[in-house]
Amino acid sequence: MFERALKGLRQQLGTQMMSVATVALALFCMAGALLMLENAGAMVRRWGAPVKVTVFLAEGANVEQVDSLRRALAGLPEVEEARYVSSAEARQSLSTGGDQVVASAPVELFPATIELRLAPSAVTAERVASVALRVRRIPMVSEVETYRGFTERLRGLLVGGRAAAGVIALGVLLCVFAVVSNTVRMSLAARLREIEVLRLVGATRSYIRGPFLIEGAMLGGAGALVAVLMLGVVFMTLRTQFELSLGAMIGLRPVFLPWSVLASLVAGGCMLGALGSAAALRRGLQA
Amino acid sequence: MGRSRVSNFFRPHFRPDGHFDSAAAHKPILVLEKVMKVFRADAPVLRGVDLTIERGEFVFVTGPSGAGKSTLLKLIYKAETVDEGRILFCGRDIARLTEDSVPHLRRNIGVVFQDFRLVPYWTVFENVAVALQVMGLPPRVIRSRVALALERVGLDGRGEEKVAVLSGGEQQRVTIARAIVTEPAVVLADEPTGNLDPVLALDILGLFEEINEGGTTVIFATHDRTLLEVSPRRLVVIDDGRCIEARAGLAGLGGVLDHGISLN
Repeated sequence: MFERALKGLRQQLGTQMMSVATVALALFCMAGALLMLENAGAMVRRWGAPVKVTVFLAEGANVEQVDSLRRALAGLPEVEEARYVSSAEARQSLSTGGDQVVASAPVELFPATIELRLAPSAVTAERVASVALRVRRIPMVSEVETYRGFTERLRGLLVGGRAAAGVIALGVLLCVFAVVSNTVRMSLAARLREIEVLRLVGATRSYIRGPFLIEGAMLGGAGALVAVLMLGVVFMTLRTQFELSLGAMIGLRPVFLPWSVLASLVAGGCMLGALGSAAALRRGLQA
Repeated sequence: MGRSRVSNFFRPHFRPDGHFDSAAAHKPILVLEKVMKVFRADAPVLRGVDLTIERGEFVFVTGPSGAGKSTLLKLIYKAETVDEGRILFCGRDIARLTEDSVPHLRRNIGVVFQDFRLVPYWTVFENVAVALQVMGLPPRVIRSRVALALERVGLDGRGEEKVAVLSGGEQQRVTIARAIVTEPAVVLADEPTGNLDPVLALDILGLFEEINEGGTTVIFATHDRTLLEVSPRRLVVIDDGRCIEARAGLAGLGGVLDHGISLN
């Protein structure tokens, strides 16, 4: 049966190649969207977790009170490190780039803070919010910044990305289904005499349909494989540039799609091809 | 279900369970009882045809164009279904066959057409071997049986040629080889000489007679009077949806052909 499918593919090689190219292009778009999502997900995992909290101190807090507060915060299970940053240090860190205006500004404009570095493994958004709420109640604390807005924006972007990828995936699935279905229909039309002879000599339905289903699965699978290879080549080409520019800025190394996703893409391509072929056979073989 | 059971599904001397059936072996190969076929309500093609064909017979089916010769053959290999009446093949009513059983019926009937019905881009070997491949036989068996069939039709050693380059007579021989390679119980020939010149037509008729001598039942539809004259066989004339029989060929019909039926 496999041999007959290969024979059928060879018979109309030009048409089949065109179909594989179209399927590959469609699946490349989908795989590209998945790759972007994968990297956005990694970014959210890296930056989305609220690993930093800044506690702004009220004016007039004395050194003992601040130190006692710092030690108390450092003792919390979620906190890895609690560091006191004085007003002068805050001004200095902000004027590191040589900004004379900041450097000459009065030191009172820069509130003293305690910077908390949280253990990423132990932290959830809920626990950070709870810590912030408790810390805010301390009289010498004027404000607590958890950078939650940034996190939520990142998560929002990811959700939007997933929705967009879903729409792309749906479009791609329909496209692959239609391409394979039409190719198999053309193949059926070109081999009507063959089918007639097979029926005449007593071929069963599965014997007639089998090679066409395999043909469709092979078209879908080959298209998916080409799409994955294309994506791999594009990824390898752009990875160095990405690592040098954006990667260095956000501290992330781009990641490729996991093997499980790649295998699912190829298997999905095969399955979709077989389904498209089955749809074509359902109509074509009734005649 | 074993392979032998499948392939013996319609063998005259085997029951479906694979055991020898002596009663079946003595039944007529084909019985048509009051067979009706209607495509247009006002002009039925067959109007209650009764016909019994014994094992190993050679029967000519004749009649004017459009009389229903091809329809009759189509009913036998179930390309068409009977509207009324029944057709018993080896004692089984083929109208009751499920869709899944039809391929097994066809494996026991070889069919030859006027227009050959070959796959032009296949080789001679492939066109003949397909009848055995659908039965799932091993390649070694297929090779030897195809070689034997090609030898019987005079195409020994031509297996690798594409059928598209063969002459009409040779293409018809390939079709005959395909029809007999499975050693079917019956061979149906639907105007097999219609596209051939008179000499080739006689040649092909000779081939069918040889096949019949081997014990295969042959039903040969034609409107070529020369063939009927050359070979005085049992003759079934179909006209106006009914059939008239003559056991000894044209001569046995007396004046029927001259009065009622015009053959080309």
